[in-house]
Amino acid sequence: MGKVARDCGVDMDGIRVGNRVIGTQGRVTVGWENIPKVEGGPFKRLFFTYFQPAVLFAMILFWYYAPNSIVKATTAIYIGIGFKALLLALEWVNPRFDSWRLTWKELATDLFYVGLGYTILNTVDNYIGDGVMIEAIQHAFTLEKLTWFTGLPLLLQAFLIAFIFDFGQYWMHRGMHNWYPLWLPHSVHHYITQLNINKGAVGNPVELFLIGLGVGGFFDFLPRAFLLAGAIGMSIGIYQHINVRFNSPKWWRFLFNTTEHHSLHHSQEYEATRSNYAGSFIFIDRMFGTCIDGEAELLGLEHGRRMSISEQMTYPFTEGWKSLKERFGQQPAAVPAE
Amino acid sequence: MNLRFIDWIWCIRGNLALAPGQSSDEAFERLRSLFQKQGTTHQTTGETLTFRKKDQAAQDAMSIFEGGILHIENQAGGAVLRYILTSRALLFCFLAPLLFLGFAQLNITLGKLDKQATEAAKKAGKDTDAKKKADAEKKEIKLNPIDKMLGAPEPEKPKKDGKDKKEEKKEDKKFSPTSGYVFAGIFAALWLIGRILEDWLIRRLFRKTLLGEG
Repeated sequence: MGKVARDCGVDMDGIRVGNRVIGTQGRVTVGWENIPKVEGGPFKRLFFTYFQPAVLFAMILFWYYAPNSIVKATTAIYIGIGFKALLLALEWVNPRFDSWRLTWKELATDLFYVGLGYTILNTVDNYIGDGVMIEAIQHAFTLEKLTWFTGLPLLLQAFLIAFIFDFGQYWMHRGMHNWYPLWLPHSVHHYITQLNINKGAVGNPVELFLIGLGVGGFFDFLPRAFLLAGAIGMSIGIYQHINVRFNSPKWWRFLFNTTEHHSLHHSQEYEATRSNYAGSFIFIDRMFGTCIDGEAELLGLEHGRRMSISEQMTYPFTEGWKSLKERFGQQPAAVPAE
Repeated sequence: MNLRFIDWIWCIRGNLALAPGQSSDEAFERLRSLFQKQGTTHQTTGETLTFRKKDQAAQDAMSIFEGGILHIENQAGGAVLRYILTSRALLFCFLAPLLFLGFAQLNITLGKLDKQATEAAKKAGKDTDAKKKADAEKKEIKLNPIDKMLGAPEPEKPKKDGKDKKEEKKEDKKFSPTSGYVFAGIFAALWLIGRILEDWLIRRLFRKTLLGEG
């Protein structure tokens, strides 16, 4: 049974989901039956119901059968850019919420973060972070001791890579919401008040080193299974930050992360943010009891305060310094009792 | 230096005729709703309204502006609203191409240093043994029978002799300045679009609000 948590005076009643009460601090909707559907003519409803599965299967077919000459990371990057442009256009024609509509300023800000990722962060990655890991993966895939894995069916290899990566992402993300030193670099990403295609890039660069493998680091040589895994991850995970409503099929919503799930994770409701940690496979959250099916429109922290780019870059360090001073700073001299 | 010659980069100026018979009090009363948003403070003194914004919401129709002055002038032909609005977003968008060109140049410099270091290491023969061992261990990836049956392409065979073309291309791309140039271009275009679009949008917003259509 699903309900909508609404204002009831200062403290909202909330809804019990498992061991937790959701919706006492922020307006959220819990339960798929309470979430609005895409209305309109038969073509429109068909399009927004089957778009996501169609793209996923098309990506799988492409990477499975593409000739070796185009099976490389640069192809993946161009497909990703083209797909994002298409989704931006979809945001324009079928927005989920008016309050999430992209303005010029938001587009410019989002593209700034994306640009940092493609330029200076990529440069830094050559020296630290994923560069070493990527070389190891490229080398390992041609080793004799890993033929048991590379001999598996391609789709199984791809699924295992995607699942193992997302499993790691789940625990890193859950750690970020439960351990202060990891929360600091991740917290700034939660100040976004809208979900749009490029909002996934908004945040502090330190967080990106913690959570990501940069695809660009793979350049041209990459095992097909890895590219398949990346395509599966993109075709599922890209909908985390998007201002489009889909009528996702039941099986899709059961297995995969959706915009609805991620909007709850970004909501102003504290308990709801402590859920839906996985990037692609929401069934990982179901396995560990951290899944909530629902959605939210009001997002962000501090009642939706927007954080500037300069503050996003410095906040983890200034807040960390403040915390250290509070914890280890000099205690005031004891005043003797009268 | 008189900033007036260049402040059009980040300042938007304009004027709008008020409706006949509309007083300045009535005009400011209608415009006041635009300044009662999260992160916005405003002050009205006579015929002038001054506002400031900090951490304004993305959903704020005037979110692009950090501050500004609106002044109503009574002229012979009727009252006119004059406004000057400042935008840090426009200024930074104008300067962003320089930043990305800087990143591109940094990549070029680091690429040269990296190439020098690699050539020096080769001359010293440091990587030869490690590479020979790595090449010896490389095995051909065999396709699973299910994939063969479904018609998947055979994987490429690993090359054994010397440095193959792929590795050379890889080193070229490691410090590529291309993305820096692309984003410099994107932000130059974004500034141009924003400067024109936001000018038009704010004028439309003020006009609709003054007419009570807001």
